[in-house]
Amino acid sequence: MSLIECRQLTKKYTRGDNEIIPLDELDLSIEAGAFLALMGPSGSGKTTLLNLIAGIDRPTAGELRVEGTDIARLSRSKLARWRSTHIGYIFQLYHLVPVLTAYENVELPLLIQPISRKERHARVAQALELAGIADRHDHYPRQLSGGQEQRVAIARSLVTDPPILLADEPTGDLDRASSKAILELLLRLNTELGKTLIIVTHDPTTTHYAKETLHLEKGRLVSEAPPALAAEVKSAGDGRGERDA
Amino acid sequence: MRLLPFDYATRNLGRSPGRLVLAVLGSALVVLLVIASAAFVRGMGSSLSLPEENSNVIFLGAGSEESVERSEVSTRAAEVVATLPSVRTRLGERYVSPEVHIALAIRTEESQVEGRLTPVRGVRPTAYLVHSQVHIVGGRTPTPGADELMVGGLVGGQLGVDASRLALGKTLLIDGRPWSIVGHFRAPHTVMDAEIWMALTDLQVVGQRDDLSCVVVTLDPALGDFTDAEVLAAQRLDLELTAMREVDYYGALARFYAPIRAMVLVTASLIALGGILGGLNTMVAAFAARVREVGTLQVLGYPRRAIILSFVQESVIVAATGALIAGVVGKLLLDGIAVRFSMGAFGLVVDAPVLAIGIAAGIILGIVGALPPTLRCMKLPVGQALRG
Ligand SMILES: Nc1ncnc2c1ncn2[C@@H]1O[C@H](COP(=O)(O)OP(=O)(O)O)[C@@H](O)[C@H]1O
Ligand SMILES: [Mg+2]
Repeated sequence: MSLIECRQLTKKYTRGDNEIIPLDELDLSIEAGAFLALMGPSGSGKTTLLNLIAGIDRPTAGELRVEGTDIARLSRSKLARWRSTHIGYIFQLYHLVPVLTAYENVELPLLIQPISRKERHARVAQALELAGIADRHDHYPRQLSGGQEQRVAIARSLVTDPPILLADEPTGDLDRASSKAILELLLRLNTELGKTLIIVTHDPTTTHYAKETLHLEKGRLVSEAPPALAAEVKSAGDGRGERDA
Repeated sequence: MRLLPFDYATRNLGRSPGRLVLAVLGSALVVLLVIASAAFVRGMGSSLSLPEENSNVIFLGAGSEESVERSEVSTRAAEVVATLPSVRTRLGERYVSPEVHIALAIRTEESQVEGRLTPVRGVRPTAYLVHSQVHIVGGRTPTPGADELMVGGLVGGQLGVDASRLALGKTLLIDGRPWSIVGHFRAPHTVMDAEIWMALTDLQVVGQRDDLSCVVVTLDPALGDFTDAEVLAAQRLDLELTAMREVDYYGALARFYAPIRAMVLVTASLIALGGILGGLNTMVAAFAARVREVGTLQVLGYPRRAIILSFVQESVIVAATGALIAGVVGKLLLDGIAVRFSMGAFGLVVDAPVLAIGIAAGIILGIVGALPPTLRCMKLPVGQALRG
């Protein structure tokens, strides 16, 4: 069985008479060790899919198994605990806690794990080292550049040693050099640590790093990027990645 | 325990120092108000309550049970009361205090305006035996016929003058006539603390009366009890007397003032409520700015109650700091301050129970103030919070 299995996965929002279907009966299997790039225009359901896999949102219909667990059936508190050991989530805007140092931000997910202070310290140090940001451990987020903040956020996603890393446009707010460095870091996590990686991106260079690229449109997978999208992707690749609306 | 570090709460307070200072001062004000009202109610209550073992009986003119000021007791009746067998005797001295109570306009020498009405009590030396709460703290008791008087500890506050104006040797004017201050007494937590005392005969002259307002006696429990006093008043109808336990007399006064206390409490609660609502408003804004952070913490695996607890911690730290400031300010500025009421004055009492009420109010303020904005902030599904 695959690491992540989606069967007829559907997410629906109803607002009055309006029905929005960000994900429409999606079938998808992702193997352990995959490095998947997920592309598609704004509003095509990319974030929705990541949030479902992370157990942040719940599907309206269909089945979603991660490591064999039907996560849609877990209670909210069980899901929170499951997520803290299985999923590392990386955001476009980093979402570091501004009042905590880099070290403390990375330590945050470990404070709810039953481990000793000594082991916690060792793991935080190791995650900071892996993310290449150990020298800035006592800096606050406002003292870091965007690329450095994203490294701290990656260290935070790694520190609980989850098998799955989900990244929602991790380079969307970075310049080209920083983007390249972050993508290389993510690639190493995939090849050297064997993390399963799903990256939502607008940046076509990501596809050079990914082992596989999927395109979403209107909540469905499409085999090839349609011409219009290909053009958009191309122009986006000329500069910085676009942000979602 | 899966909780956020305490540091997270304390450091978040530093995010916006201006707002922090305002929040601390705001809760200090609310708590100070609670302390002031509690001190008022407690001061008023304690000035009208006496220790349970008090065995004093007041003989008043029949029909004047509610006010000693309006009571008239004839000298003959006082002589009969003095013979009551169950009255306490010590070293040949009988504990019988015939008294005149009149409210007089008193002013200090330096003051140009009409004096304030102040309760004045004319007494014999036995009054100091019967009213054991009275302690002479300076000078001596007034000599009859020498135009001398003695002032209680709250008289300065009652007259609205500085204590130096009431120093020994200073003069007070009654109807334009000078009286010199020869003594200071204190009777904390009693109505007497706000009174001026002089010789009984002197006050009878000033008030142009030859009768008394009341006779207060101390009973000796070994010799008899209140029933003896009641029987005397009931049998000698010709004396036109009523006997009341001193405790009951002040109890009735306290009941008379109960509506004022209730009003103070209601006003204080309303203002405190307003404070909480105002505080809520700032907190809603402060917490709403952190919706995304709350979402992130939930993605990292923090249970909602850990996040709620941390937000409540923040707010309780603020409110408790305000409460401490209010406690110190209240103790320093409010304790003992005289509050004038229709007749006389009582001192605000800021003691341990009042401070405890203030601190408790502060903590409740912190919890109650934090919960609605926190819960509001948590109501959003995580996915939506992250997009916020
Ligand atoms: N809470 C919500 N209520 C209603 N519609 C939503 C909600 N969240 C997302 N959507 C809609 O779902 C669609 C897909 O959103 P999203 O997954 O964020 O797209 P992407 O990440 O591909 O840009 C969009 O049309 C968006 O407006
Ligand atoms: Mg998105």
